[in-house]
Amino acid sequence: MRKIWLVAAATYRRRVTSTLFLILTFGIPVLMVIAAGVAVLTQIGGGVPQIGYVDQTGELAAVSGVTVEGRTVPVTMFDSQEEARQALQAGDVGGYLVVPEDYLEEGAATYYGESSPNAVADEALIGLMRLAMLPDAPDWILSRLDDPSDVTYVAQETGERVAQGPALVLRILTPGALAMVFVLSVFTSANQMGAAVVREKEQRAMEMVVTSISPRELVSGKVLGMTLLTATQVGVWMLGAAAGVGLALLGTLQVQELSIPWRSVLWAALLGIPGYFLYAVLGAGLGVIAGDKEQARQLAGVLGFLGMGPLYFMSAIIDNLSGPLGVGLTLFPLTAPTIALFRMTLSEVPTWQLAASLGIILVCLAAAVWFVARIFRAAMLLYGQSLKPKEILQALRHA
Amino acid sequence: MGHNAVALDVRNVSKSYAEVRAVDGLSFEVRPGEIFGLLGPNGAGKTTTIRMALDIIKPSTGDISVLGGPMTEEKKARIGYLPEERGLYDDMTVMDTLVFLGKLKGLSNATARTRAETYLREVELWDARDRKIEALSQGMNQKAQFVAGTMHEPDLLIIDEPFSGLDPVNTRLIKSLLLRMRDQGTAIIMSTHQMQRVEEMCERILLIDSGQRVLYGPLEEIRRQFAARAVEVDLRGEVGQVPGVMRVSRENGSYRMTLEEGVEPEELLQRLVNMPGVTVERFERVQHSLEDIFVEVVGREVAPEEEGEAA
Repeated sequence: MRKIWLVAAATYRRRVTSTLFLILTFGIPVLMVIAAGVAVLTQIGGGVPQIGYVDQTGELAAVSGVTVEGRTVPVTMFDSQEEARQALQAGDVGGYLVVPEDYLEEGAATYYGESSPNAVADEALIGLMRLAMLPDAPDWILSRLDDPSDVTYVAQETGERVAQGPALVLRILTPGALAMVFVLSVFTSANQMGAAVVREKEQRAMEMVVTSISPRELVSGKVLGMTLLTATQVGVWMLGAAAGVGLALLGTLQVQELSIPWRSVLWAALLGIPGYFLYAVLGAGLGVIAGDKEQARQLAGVLGFLGMGPLYFMSAIIDNLSGPLGVGLTLFPLTAPTIALFRMTLSEVPTWQLAASLGIILVCLAAAVWFVARIFRAAMLLYGQSLKPKEILQALRHA
Repeated sequence: MGHNAVALDVRNVSKSYAEVRAVDGLSFEVRPGEIFGLLGPNGAGKTTTIRMALDIIKPSTGDISVLGGPMTEEKKARIGYLPEERGLYDDMTVMDTLVFLGKLKGLSNATARTRAETYLREVELWDARDRKIEALSQGMNQKAQFVAGTMHEPDLLIIDEPFSGLDPVNTRLIKSLLLRMRDQGTAIIMSTHQMQRVEEMCERILLIDSGQRVLYGPLEEIRRQFAARAVEVDLRGEVGQVPGVMRVSRENGSYRMTLEEGVEPEELLQRLVNMPGVTVERFERVQHSLEDIFVEVVGREVAPEEEGEAA
């Protein structure tokens, strides 16, 4: 085990300081935060807007202003759309809302403005409609209508309590988000793993190294080192994404309201970690078989496709979550983590299916390590040559 | 080396790839404290033999005993290897590379660092310790790899063309280090096409061709077997016709005399000494060089491009 760690640490150290890795790892989160910042600035920018409205129903009351977050937004009522348009052109208002005749039946209205309404204007439009429809309602009713009730959902079987709002959204989205993290990790590492093994072959240090450690230890060390590297990269990306989302939702989220769906997180770890290792070992195997980096990239593309594959079946699975396709792909080791987690976003997945899936992944992982170590021994001295099917069979029989 | 009388014992080993028999019934042994020359033309099976000895590839048949028994993971720490297909991790520094490879051989971090420093100073690479491998010259790279293969002070060292890419000064340096290791009891197998180095350093040799053993044993004995039935003589006086001599020629002022079948050089010396008016100043049996023997046995010259052989 010590030698596996030595190889893993050396692999990690060699790559974590490379310029390309640093650019990829830290560049993407910086872009995420910048994008979120721009979105926030767009929402909060522009200060307090002035808005207008045209009542074509003839039923709405006249409103001269609404209060949003302690600020008064001036409101102008126009007699016609033409009048409102001229006011907009003259810069007297930032935008106006046209409430059509059939609004009370259909509920649709149209906003005309220089740009999309910012967060304050958006709130102001909702407040305007409430006030225009209920001009005599006391403030406490208008205030309550903003947030009629805090519903808490309690699961009959498990007793799990989830509050409405962000907590519920988090409860629903977490398994899907974890599935996407898995797909992203697999997609990232499938390429890197094969290329790393090809590079190891190209540098021709292997013949010296394998007189110190067994092929199995070398492959395991490489996979572990590259896994730590991917974990670092995806971890930084997730932090960047969290920072970006946090920035975008600034002030609208109460952390204490959030509830973590621990069952999903647990199964994401139980299926995702060995599932990831399975992909990593297979990625290393493809690197062993490939003659050069170009070939390794092509083969990794196939593996990456398998990692992304479940996404193509999502609509069919959603139609029948517990149907043969959904259950089959939950049990198939290469799609199990993604499909199981996506199914969890929409319904309960039976524990027996998850446990069976875990067992199958572990068996396949052990078989993959055995297989790759075997062909690695045969291929490690084939500099710049790919391993042919006949040679693979020979390696499995005789190595 | 401990109590092992034989560092490497290869018995009747064969290796086949599809229809090709790379090594065919090969047997030899290497002892502690000797430099053993493994020779042969390109494609003779030398590298295959080395890789089988190191358990990198498995023999089809036969037995290989390393340091007193079958190869184990533990024994790998007692073996050093400098392969012909050489390479180190380009993006690592010299020091990091050596410490990593030293630790893989079981050295502690502190010992690996100390040994790396000692050996780097010895091969005059200490100043390049923080350079990346990719920034080293060919000769420096070669020396770094030599250190990587020897810094754990192995009991059995296998080196394939250790002098390729080295200038005369560095060749002498590496040679002295190898001789020191030999004197300390390390069994060294040296595969090379540089026959002069073999003559200088090896006590025993194995010459293989087409995977089979052609010559095996002490170098001096082999050279004696191949000694021409001829002597070189410096003398004063006229010798004329000498009994037992088939042919006489002169080269650079010396007589070269080819003996008749059944005549020993000692008999000729006696006759010359007893000749009136003749004073023998030098009498020497003509020795074949190892290269001559190689060419005679294998049937072709060692071409310069054979320096980089792939068996």
